[in-house]
Amino acid sequence: MTETFYEVLRRQGISRRSFLKFCSLTATSLGLGSAAAPKIAHALETKPRTPVLWLHGLECTCCSESFIRSAHPLAKDVVLSMLSLDYDDTLMAAAGYQAEAILDDIKKRYKGNYIVAVEGNPPLNEDGMFCIHGGRPFVDVLKETCADAKAIISWGSCASWGCVQAAKPNPTRATPVHKVITDKPIIKVPGCPPIAEVMTAVVTYMLTFDKIPELDRQGRPKMFYGQRIHDKCYRRPHFDAGQYVEEWDDEGARKGYCLYKMGCKGPTTYNACSTTRWNNGVSFPIQSGHGCIGCSEDGFWDKGSFYDRVTDIKQFGIESNADKIGGTAAAVTGAAVAAHAAVTALARAKKKTGIDIPGGEK
Amino acid sequence: MLAQQDALEAEQQARLVKAVYVYEAPVRLWHWVNALCITLLAITGYLIANPLPSMPGDASQHFVMGTIRVIHFSSAYIFAVGFIGRIYWAAVGNHHARQIFILPIRSRQWWGEIFHELKWYLFLVKEPKKYVGHNPLAQLAMFLFFTIGAVYMICTGFALYGEGLGAESWAGHMFGWVITAVGGNSQQVHSLHHMGLWVTLIFVMIHIYAAIREDIMSRQSMISTMISGWRMFKD
Amino acid sequence: MGAYTTQGFNMDNSGKRVVVDPVCRIEGHMRVEVNLDSNNVIRNAVSTGTMWRGLEVILKGRDPRDAWAFTERICGVCTGTHALTSCRSVEDALGIKIPANANHIRNMMQLNLQIHDHVVHFYHLHALDWVDIISALKADPKRTSELAQSISDWPLSSPGYFRDLQNRLKKFAESGQLGPFTNGYWGNPAYKLPPEANLMAVAHYLEALDFQKEIVKVHTIFGGKNPHPNWLVGGMPCAINMDGTGAVGAINMERLNLVKSIIDQTREFMEKVYVPDIIAIGSFYKDWLHGGGLSSKAIMAYGDIPDKANDYTPDNMLLPGGVILGGDLTKIEHVDPRDPEQVQEFVTHSWYKYPDETKGLHPWDGVTEANYHPEGPNFKGTRTKIESLDESAKYSWIKSPRWRGHAMEVGPLSRMVLGYAQPKKYPRVKELVDASLKQLNLPVSALYSTLGRTAARAIEALYCAELQVDQFDRLMSNIRAGDTATANIDKWDPATWPKEAKGVGFTEAPRGALGHWIKIKDGKIDNYQCVVPTTWNGSPRDPKGQIGAFEASLMNTPVAKADQPLEILRTIHSFDPCLACSTH
Ligand code: HEM
Ligand code: HEM
Ligand code: NFV
Ligand code: SF4
Ligand code: SF4
Ligand code: F3S
Ligand SMILES: [Mg+2]
Repeated sequence: MTETFYEVLRRQGISRRSFLKFCSLTATSLGLGSAAAPKIAHALETKPRTPVLWLHGLECTCCSESFIRSAHPLAKDVVLSMLSLDYDDTLMAAAGYQAEAILDDIKKRYKGNYIVAVEGNPPLNEDGMFCIHGGRPFVDVLKETCADAKAIISWGSCASWGCVQAAKPNPTRATPVHKVITDKPIIKVPGCPPIAEVMTAVVTYMLTFDKIPELDRQGRPKMFYGQRIHDKCYRRPHFDAGQYVEEWDDEGARKGYCLYKMGCKGPTTYNACSTTRWNNGVSFPIQSGHGCIGCSEDGFWDKGSFYDRVTDIKQFGIESNADKIGGTAAAVTGAAVAAHAAVTALARAKKKTGIDIPGGEK
Repeated sequence: MLAQQDALEAEQQARLVKAVYVYEAPVRLWHWVNALCITLLAITGYLIANPLPSMPGDASQHFVMGTIRVIHFSSAYIFAVGFIGRIYWAAVGNHHARQIFILPIRSRQWWGEIFHELKWYLFLVKEPKKYVGHNPLAQLAMFLFFTIGAVYMICTGFALYGEGLGAESWAGHMFGWVITAVGGNSQQVHSLHHMGLWVTLIFVMIHIYAAIREDIMSRQSMISTMISGWRMFKD
Repeated sequence: MGAYTTQGFNMDNSGKRVVVDPVCRIEGHMRVEVNLDSNNVIRNAVSTGTMWRGLEVILKGRDPRDAWAFTERICGVCTGTHALTSCRSVEDALGIKIPANANHIRNMMQLNLQIHDHVVHFYHLHALDWVDIISALKADPKRTSELAQSISDWPLSSPGYFRDLQNRLKKFAESGQLGPFTNGYWGNPAYKLPPEANLMAVAHYLEALDFQKEIVKVHTIFGGKNPHPNWLVGGMPCAINMDGTGAVGAINMERLNLVKSIIDQTREFMEKVYVPDIIAIGSFYKDWLHGGGLSSKAIMAYGDIPDKANDYTPDNMLLPGGVILGGDLTKIEHVDPRDPEQVQEFVTHSWYKYPDETKGLHPWDGVTEANYHPEGPNFKGTRTKIESLDESAKYSWIKSPRWRGHAMEVGPLSRMVLGYAQPKKYPRVKELVDASLKQLNLPVSALYSTLGRTAARAIEALYCAELQVDQFDRLMSNIRAGDTATANIDKWDPATWPKEAKGVGFTEAPRGALGHWIKIKDGKIDNYQCVVPTTWNGSPRDPKGQIGAFEASLMNTPVAKADQPLEILRTIHSFDPCLACSTH
């Protein structure tokens, strides 16, 4: 039970040499440089496997689906060798009360030493019964399971922000994890879903260094969410040049021009897509011709159409966008000013001449 | 308070000189630089949100959006620095220099004069009152639309700018909170900043109209005052 | 309701009530309750969807062009299929015709999804119902190798390969940290595979886990990512540029070569691993032909994979559609999703409210209003601590869709049977089904079972892999003919739309017939209703007491150990339930 990660790898027939190679690969993929490799190796040689309890709330399960797409490390290596995925409704062999028993068991045996990974979120309306787990509200199971956890990972935009089920009018009052669990360190890994290799890198980082990664103001690991899609987008030269896709499938689309006018949310979206890319680096939304829809951002569903550059100002409950409202207001003002000027001119003329000019009564 | 003081000042001095030195040089310089910055900011801001038609040819041959943004950001810096300078001048300059920052909201008379100005604009009274500094309505409008508006545009603008510089940059540290405050998604800040464009534009339209109109109608100098600093009373 | 008869099943809730909650290894949240008679045979079955998010409510008032992204998030497992269905519904409402290339690309993505979903379902969600991992420790690697080589020429099959794997497995088991395999029903008498077959299956569990991540790259190339690739009303967002400047950012020769290599590998995996595994495993479970449920009584599919763009009639569909009632393969009825009399949803036993709950509503007029009320005369527990549900009251977040009043089974089994019944149109389906039956030496009727459902899925995966190659060739020849269009933007601007419009989009999702019905008013969504495969299969009872496909499939199945409901899981899993889909 107190087997180390290194021992596990050795048992699985992995040589010391390939273990060290793994460490240096991990070091580079985390952007730490090869100097960090011996440190990683040391950490892995001396630490036991950490139990992970992966809970599912209201969700679409694409975070799990994304996770198993990880190419480095492979999902099977993460799940079978790096940590101990003791609970995950989506993958586990057990069901019913045999499954529930595992939660209790890990909570007791690894008090303060297990990680809870949450995919999806708890709804609070209807006493939480929009998501039922073992006949009870999911939110209760979540709270109980987190109570003795070391740290919590909020997978995806659901756990981090609420995501699609929390889009207006959020009928179930789907609530992100940090609003329900307030006394534990929470690492948000947003995205709908997050990139597979980002997910496994966050986990590997935590296991390797036995600490949570540095987080930004909103609780996301800086290493992957520190910059916007737009900051590292390969179409950026076209943005700066002023070359845009004007219509779907036009000349610009074929030449890979910037998707800004098609509503690309890359300028307001923090994620690693434009550098890490998806599915082992094959592509990412913009590379395949569609704008970023901002899927790792809080409330991205309620920021107007995905195809609008200038979006609605829902904050004021306004459905229309700034240019429409502002343009109208400016036009009205302009008309008012003109009218006012006209009346002023008339009044002035009248004062001077004593006559109402355009045929008004005397 | 000030308005009352203005009235006194005008009354006392007008009889003698018919002209008062109101806007000191830094205020005048600032006003015109500021006006230029805002014009540039408004035009470039609009074009950032609604870019020009695409350029043909190779990306490396052009820098249209780049240039527009550079102008926006340079004007923004000048605008912001100027604004800080203007605050400084409010502290050290003459009392007119404080008018757009501090409203005498406790003064009943001031409110009364606002109504009087309103009536004047609604053609309900025949003559406007004369003021050495801003008329109270203008003062109120400048405070609400310009002073608050400028702070708002600087906060939202530099919050967005900080995204490009990076969260660790000075702008990220100083203004990053704006993004979190509106819900964490900077698309929202874009929309709010964008909204400011129209508010500014409306202010500028009315402001310029009022300045010209008053110049003609109120028998006291306006535009030339912002150039020379002297307010001339025509009768 | 006590004892009654419906659809040929004698329902009797008098025996011992067994509850499984959560049902794991599915997507989403689900609960099953059954009554066992004194011989541990299931005499009453109750299946419950235990989650609801309200996507139909959330979609109201939004831009129809955005709907694909919302509905795509109904499910990350069948990701993309909702998006495609949504695009089709909007295109139908607005009369938008998509270019031929977009059709082929969409088809490839949809087929790709079918295959991926089937593979992951079988190996990672379903296999453990047939495969006892712990027993694999006892296998002889040499004999495992012989077994593997006798069924396929897949190269990873040497004795050394299996020995290596077994050693790792041994050490893993000895560590005491069984991870996701903790508390499985290992050693249960319902497991029938010899250790060698178990070991081979474990190897393929891991290989499939590695391989599935390759398959989806077709989505990544055309849609930018997977899960949740991007789509576009009017076509596809990925422009094609074969030889101009900037082609490097578009679909070009390199991208197409990557697609080609993936779909070739995919077909190989289906031929050499998935299908042979099913035959091998099936051969040990030939006696366990429970779980047929509705499959011999009422099956349905809409049909999908339109060969020519914009023609959604049955004759143009490469995946079969239609309805067969009473197992009469000679009579195939046509499904018309527009007909108000055909598809209807009931909520009598669902946690929703209708003005009149004795009637069903066609989705265009559908209503989704949550109404959580589990209470009924037989209900045990409290509102927030359910001990036992009352199936005579409301008991599920899933609605009850019916086709002309019939509860239907949808999914790969329905499609393969419909294809089998139309050999002229689908000769390849018949060929593949016959070949499998022949290898197992089973009659056609054996298809109507849990095993048949699982086998149909594998056969379909291979069929889809072949279609995917076809569709790729069609795309290439179209491009070669000089057509590179991928999107039609004539009606992109909402100003070009009529004041009011309604449409329906349908597809064959991995789990079965999927339909989205949309009503548009003043450029915004006025009503949006999804009727999803798992809504059909997992439906609770209707006003007549008719049971849904899950419930029917559990009926009359003997359970070896009441406290280890392996048989329940096995049969329920054979549908590949997706609860997030079912309730949305
Ligand atoms: C009166 C003053 C200003 C006006 C009228 C103005 C106007 C605008 C407008 C209309 C936009 C487009 C917003 C959109 O994305 O829809 C914009 C963008 C922006 N503005 Fe301003 N702005 C002003 C002041 C400032 C200031 C003080 C800064 C500070 C640096 C600033 C920085 C920015 C930035 C960073 C952007 C985003 C540029 C991009 O996304 O590429 N603005 N501005
Ligand atoms: C973007 C354009 C402009 C902005 C934002 C702007 C803003 C301001 C502000 C804030 C003040 C108060 C000055 C202070 O007390 O420090 C002011 C005063 C003044 N501005 Fe402008 N201004 C603009 C354009 C103009 C133009 C084009 C004119 C002339 C046609 C003009 C004429 C004046 C005059 C006459 C005053 C003095 C008003 C008074 O004494 O009550 N402004 N302006
Ligand atoms: N049921 C279902 Fe789906 C599928 N296949 C969707 O339409 O899985 Ni989530
Ligand atoms: S965050 Fe997105 S991808 Fe993850 S479960 Fe939620 S909806 Fe699915
Ligand atoms: S495509 Fe999007 S992210 Fe890329 S440069 Fe253009 S606007 Fe920025
Ligand atoms: S839509 Fe999401 S996947 Fe990346 S490019 Fe945008 S954050
Ligand atoms: Mg529905």
